Amino acid sequence: MRLEIKNLTKAFGGVRAIDDVSLDFASGSLSAVIGPNGAGKSTFFNLISGAFPADSGQVLLEGEDVGRLSRAERMHRGIGRAFQVASCFPTMTVAENLMAAVTAHAGRWGNLSHRFPPPGVRDRAEEVMSLAGLTHVADVEAAILSHGDQKLLDIAIALALEPKVLLLDEPTAGMGPDERWRMIDRVRGLWEQRKLTLIFIEHDMDIVFRVASTIRVLCYGRVLAEGVPDDIRNNQAVVDAYLGTEEHGA
Amino acid sequence: MKGRSALRDAAIAAIGLIIVLAIPFFHRSPAFEDFVIRLSAMALFATSLNLLVGNTGMVSFGHGMFYGLGAYAFGLTMQMTSLSLPVAAVLAVLLTTFAALCVGAVCVRLSTDYFAFITLAFQMLFFSVIISWQSLTGGDQGLRGGIPRREIFGFELASQLHLYQFCAVVAVLGLLALRHISASPFGQTLRMIRDNENRASFLGVVLWRARLWAFTIAGGFAGLGGVLAALFVSGAYPELADWPNSGQAIFAVMLGGIDTFLGPLLGAMILLALNDVVTRFTEYHGLVLGIVILVFALGLRRGVLDFLRLAWPGRSR
Amino acid sequence: MDLNALGACLTNPACVVTQTTSGLIVGMLLFLVAAGVTLIFGVLKIVNFAHGTFYMLGGYVAYTAFGVTDSYTLAVLSGALAMALFGALFERALISRVYGSNVLMQLLICYAVVLIFDDVVKIVWGPEFHAMGMPPAFQVPPLFIAGGVVPPFYAVLIGIAALIAIVLGLGLSMTRLGKTVRAAAINPQMVSALGINTTVLFAVVFAVGGGLAGLAGALAAPVRSLSPGMGFSILIESFIVTVIGGMGSIAGALVSALLIGMVRGFGTIGFPSFTDGLIYIVMIGILLLRPQGLFGRQT
Repeated sequence: MRLEIKNLTKAFGGVRAIDDVSLDFASGSLSAVIGPNGAGKSTFFNLISGAFPADSGQVLLEGEDVGRLSRAERMHRGIGRAFQVASCFPTMTVAENLMAAVTAHAGRWGNLSHRFPPPGVRDRAEEVMSLAGLTHVADVEAAILSHGDQKLLDIAIALALEPKVLLLDEPTAGMGPDERWRMIDRVRGLWEQRKLTLIFIEHDMDIVFRVASTIRVLCYGRVLAEGVPDDIRNNQAVVDAYLGTEEHGA
Repeated sequence: MKGRSALRDAAIAAIGLIIVLAIPFFHRSPAFEDFVIRLSAMALFATSLNLLVGNTGMVSFGHGMFYGLGAYAFGLTMQMTSLSLPVAAVLAVLLTTFAALCVGAVCVRLSTDYFAFITLAFQMLFFSVIISWQSLTGGDQGLRGGIPRREIFGFELASQLHLYQFCAVVAVLGLLALRHISASPFGQTLRMIRDNENRASFLGVVLWRARLWAFTIAGGFAGLGGVLAALFVSGAYPELADWPNSGQAIFAVMLGGIDTFLGPLLGAMILLALNDVVTRFTEYHGLVLGIVILVFALGLRRGVLDFLRLAWPGRSR
Repeated sequence: MDLNALGACLTNPACVVTQTTSGLIVGMLLFLVAAGVTLIFGVLKIVNFAHGTFYMLGGYVAYTAFGVTDSYTLAVLSGALAMALFGALFERALISRVYGSNVLMQLLICYAVVLIFDDVVKIVWGPEFHAMGMPPAFQVPPLFIAGGVVPPFYAVLIGIAALIAIVLGLGLSMTRLGKTVRAAAINPQMVSALGINTTVLFAVVFAVGGGLAGLAGALAAPVRSLSPGMGFSILIESFIVTVIGGMGSIAGALVSALLIGMVRGFGTIGFPSFTDGLIYIVMIGILLLRPQGLFGRQT
């Protein structure tokens, strides 16, 4: 699904966290959003997913303005989101987490006529579990998962909702170098398999330049630059504001 | 709370019920039968409270109001109308469920701390209404005149044996129903809300609606417990709706295990037995109970069944 | 419900004075107790269900002290200090073990203490009602203000409580200890990281809270009878006051305590058998309009 952002603005108090941002994410694209801390990246994701409404501007999903829809409604339209700090259900196992997500997505969270999980849910959950590479920890409680697996679970929960657009907020945050590449490889695998429009926030420049097809740079709530990795690497403004030298790691 | 099939639960319930019903045929003991009758009422009360506290993370301090309302509604219906017992009981439960819906509609949107207090305020309000509306409720003397113990299905409720059987059946069925609710997708949603309400809301769960249903259902089952209590005391007393009663239910839940479905039942069993034993030996049962609570809260730190479950992992929850 | 009587009273200056005084007494005592509750909650995030026990024990200690020394001043001081000590001990021995636990565990510990001391009081002083009686110093003719009766003791009680309110307010805003307490209420980890001994601080907070409740109990002793379990109703009302005023706000506690006091004072005329119920309705009403309480911070 195509995601278009037009003139999006959001201010908190007197500060414009997002200032007249217009961006276009083609259907099925894999883009990165980068920028220094405080650039407004998380706010940007919040505005797209509907955590709070924008002051002005439009969020268009396949041409439809979803700006007035609630979080849940946008989720049903196909906007999915994973979080910087993995947000799961700690007392439930990985399998239960996913089955709960699938059940909620199917609108059956208030169902009283079956035992949990309702029919058909288990299969869907197992599908997502294997897609995310979590089958080996299916019966482990989320609270005791490794950090990497928790982040994967967080992404898997978002996937269980069958998104067309997936927003990943720093999927490799808190991981060591090897783990990061494994994670981003898996993310790329998901993107290919599910034909998602995937947008991720990332600080590790190696990963960004290697993986993303397009890069958008935010700075002080504005779009500083956008384009393919080579363009961004050579963009003077971006180098000054953010990248520093060419050799760069997060 | 996971992994058990409906069939297995029903089998366990059936076996439990058969055992309980069979006991009087081997040995009659008025004290034991009394105990089971009281336990039936308390078990429904405590387990329904755990639907809120353990399952959903909603700490209600005022749950006793629905227990008391069930008792008074039932008692008054029996006294003032000639409806048969089951009809009166159903009516009382429906009334209590409706009351829970109304109170819940007011309370569930509040944050945790304030939710606890406002439920307490409602309970104390209800209590003071009972005390002051003497013409209807008999004030602090309780409902006078008793409950005309009528026959239902050939059961003579004046007979302790029949009362015992009736209460056991109602309690087991009630607990089975609560079990089904807890094990349903809705029950899982409640646990989702308890664990991470933000993510649950992101998944499309309407938080206030789920909480309101939980509150209403819990209130209804507490009311059912109240009906059994009314049958036991042959009337209704303000103490049923007073705060110490809510406190006892909270203690039963904590003592038995907040994370295990049968925890509140076990806790109620232990608490009632403790009360009985202590009152036999000393008039200072508050002192003894208080010390027991301290030992439990500081020593064991979690309910008995939770403790066992952690000590022996690998059993399905 | 007797609205005629209420109307008649409101138009009669004597009645207004009498009921206002009565309301102020109730309000001021409530404030002293609620101030402790709100302070303890504000800093420690603990809902102290045992607070009514501090009030009760303060009254009983004062009663005994008065019986032994014949000095009301000493009686009041002993009640307050004994409860300050008790509060600190309670915090160190019991509450400190359940910081961060499930709130129900904390509730149970407090409830256990209530049960235990209700019986301890029965054992030590007996289950029957006790009355301290008005100390001789106050057995003087009442003051007549606008025709209304104002016993001098009431005036003194109100004065003392008002003084304490001022001292408390100034203490919290101006002294180093007070500022530390307020800081700890906002961010306990930071306060601890700054090197402040939070262990001592928390015990002090409980001591102050307990002392205030004990003081209230001692001040109330001449005009209220003492009985085991007397703590419960003041506990519930102090919670109502705390919640209405805003958990953690002393100013809120004062305003709402006076509000509830006035509701009681005039409510007994208009709604004699339903005064308690009236107060619960007020609480529910305020919480619906402003869930964080009058002065509370919105979470």
